[in-house]
Amino acid sequence: MAVESSWESNAWVLALGDQLYAAVGERELIHLIEKPILLEVPLSPYYCQQVVLWNDRLLPAMDLSAWLQGQRENASDWKLAAVVAYQPAPGIMPNYGVLLLAGIPERLRVADTQACYLPTHPDGWRELALSCFRRGEDAIPILDIPHIFTGGLLTS
Amino acid sequence: MNQPAPITLAELREIQLFAGLTLDGYRWLLPQAEIYSLESLLDIDQEVRTPHGIGAVGFRGEWWPVYCLSGKMQVLRHIPDSRRTCVLLDNHADRLGLICDQVETIAADQRLLELPACMKLPGSPLQALALLNDRLGCVTTTEHLAALLAVYAENSHGC
Repeated sequence: MAVESSWESNAWVLALGDQLYAAVGERELIHLIEKPILLEVPLSPYYCQQVVLWNDRLLPAMDLSAWLQGQRENASDWKLAAVVAYQPAPGIMPNYGVLLLAGIPERLRVADTQACYLPTHPDGWRELALSCFRRGEDAIPILDIPHIFTGGLLTS
Repeated sequence: MNQPAPITLAELREIQLFAGLTLDGYRWLLPQAEIYSLESLLDIDQEVRTPHGIGAVGFRGEWWPVYCLSGKMQVLRHIPDSRRTCVLLDNHADRLGLICDQVETIAADQRLLELPACMKLPGSPLQALALLNDRLGCVTTTEHLAALLAVYAENSHGC
């Protein structure tokens, strides 16, 4: 097993939609659900209109491609969902959320030297991401999972 | 208008019985104690107009404004064919009628769950979620429904 150095860490690259990729930390992604059963919640934000029942919890299911495009396309037939864990605040038990995915996550090692600016298009990345790294020609934003799931997108 | 305070999950869990109101396939749960009576749609006087209302029911010497809402709590101007009954809601502060597809009593042993923080839209009447076997119930109160209707009325006056 590779030992993480102070300038390298492991991450998962997630396909959020067509040509939309973002990363989360290795320990943030804790489970994948194939063919998730999505339950619709009325009066909810256009980018988070469904929940997933997982381990006796109802987890909000985020369609971040809808957020980035500013609207929800026709209800997609999501084949994959990633359960992510986050700590809402220091000293508080972890909470969980779901990111709807268009493809299988890819694990990779990221070095500090790969840091780069956030993509300017779509312009919603600034609200979703903590930072960004370069992979080949692509800039891959690193998602701010606690911000996304504690209601940070409601006020933006 | 001031929005009512959110009702906590602990407060909801003290409620023994809920009424399950089916609206377009969505099931909305209200405290059973707030259900005053069930009335026939034939008893609605559609000549009595209220803002965003569909008419009113005369009951015990008073007119109760009656509303027809979609499953997503949008005001409907006409009663869909699926609607069968009118529930009169009374919490001692608000009195109104709501036209539903179906009404049933649901015991409080269903699982009430907090609405995730990232799904809480301001002004939404949705206070919590309930797992009813494999289906979802949306928990609200007469006070929160009345506040929503007041917002609709205010917005239409402002136009």
